[in-house]
Amino acid sequence: MKPGMKLKSQVCNTEVMVIRCGTGQVECGGVPMAEDKPAAPGVPAEGKAAGTLMGKRYVDATGSFELLCVKPGEGSLSVDGVILTIKDAKPLPASD
Amino acid sequence: MPPDPRALPLADWAEARLRDLAALLPSPALAALDGDRLLGMRARFNGFLVPGRVSAGGGCRLHRTRDGWIALNLARADDLSLLPALTGMDGLDRAEPERLTAAFAALSSDDLLAQGRLLGLAIAGLDEQPASPAVVETVPGLARPGRPDRAPLVVDLTALWAGPLAARLLGLGGARVIKVDSANRPDPLRHGDPALHDWLDRGKEHLALDLRRPADRDRLIALIRGANVVIEAARPRALHQLGIDAEALVREVPGLAWITITGHGTSGAAADWVGFGDDAAVAGGLSAALREATGKIGFVGDAVADPLSGLVAAGEAASRLVDGTGGRVIVAMSGVVAAALADRRRSDPAGLNASLRRWAQAVGTPLAAA
Repeated sequence: MKPGMKLKSQVCNTEVMVIRCGTGQVECGGVPMAEDKPAAPGVPAEGKAAGTLMGKRYVDATGSFELLCVKPGEGSLSVDGVILTIKDAKPLPASD
Repeated sequence: MPPDPRALPLADWAEARLRDLAALLPSPALAALDGDRLLGMRARFNGFLVPGRVSAGGGCRLHRTRDGWIALNLARADDLSLLPALTGMDGLDRAEPERLTAAFAALSSDDLLAQGRLLGLAIAGLDEQPASPAVVETVPGLARPGRPDRAPLVVDLTALWAGPLAARLLGLGGARVIKVDSANRPDPLRHGDPALHDWLDRGKEHLALDLRRPADRDRLIALIRGANVVIEAARPRALHQLGIDAEALVREVPGLAWITITGHGTSGAAADWVGFGDDAAVAGGLSAALREATGKIGFVGDAVADPLSGLVAAGEAASRLVDGTGGRVIVAMSGVVAAALADRRRSDPAGLNASLRRWAQAVGTPLAAA
């Protein structure tokens, strides 16, 4: 896994772009994400189906993972089973 | 030698838009403005120089790619963290310009544009065509019965330059302007560029709201229901996420003109593209015009898509104020630059080329005479 790579959910339509990554397994709906869509989509695990929001950035508590949602879906994003949270909106530039 | 004040390309086009505006909203204050001062205002306040491949304000750069040129605006501190994802190179940072230059040179403009726009970066291709026209009315509004018995009310929901300029111009034309300050996203220009902020903010009333709170959102909607014009520059998604339905309000409130200023319009994928003044000018074809006229690669103007779009937005609002019929109007900054260029190419191609040649010769000299 490296920055710029796109990962697809195996349980819903969610797609993310990797902004930053450390060591660990990225999952959606509790199932590891992959570069390709599955032939037959599975279902999100219980407690891992809160959904993803288009354009939001998701981070882990240590700041080693950051994922940008480029297609939304029903699964929740997690790394090694720990749910990721939405990062605050980007501040505007001081001037443009 | 400082450049001729008339060396600012498209200043004559801005001047004509100002005269149109002053004809709609007669006022000595509007009549006293001129196109050159308006486009060069920020540069004058800040002592900027005529830029080459780094924008006058310093945030945007033109980079050579495998097959062309792109402009990348890294105006926000957080943008730097996206460079590894943009290029696929780990640990890349602007602190290492050689690596950045090498990374861009190995990639195609189209791939960089697609990836950069997905990442929410303000990026533009020197040879691209703008995604949207300058102005589109997406929802026709209702006619206001009779003439208003008070100064028109303008609600300014914007930040930075283009939107606040549109509202300020309407204020100079006699409107009452209320600027809504977002509690969680204050206008960074207040501290980032106090001189420009103070000029744009003059004469405006302020209302601080936290639009994440339902009570504040209801107050804003009530304010808008009593207004004639809304100037707004949020991306469509952000507005929806706040629970504000611009189109429904335009359909319900007679005479309400809702002017949305965007980087690249609201249709298709371009609705989510970010645009700031310098990159939007490149997307509108201004740097391509410079290359055509002079063979040089560089920026033209200081974030010129901002003041041009503010002018166009004010003109759209003013014509609806006078006419009394509202509507939802989308202004696209890259489209505005392209429209201004196309106008000048039609009406005075020799004058346009002469202004671009003077501009290229003036690189490194003060952009605007004090």
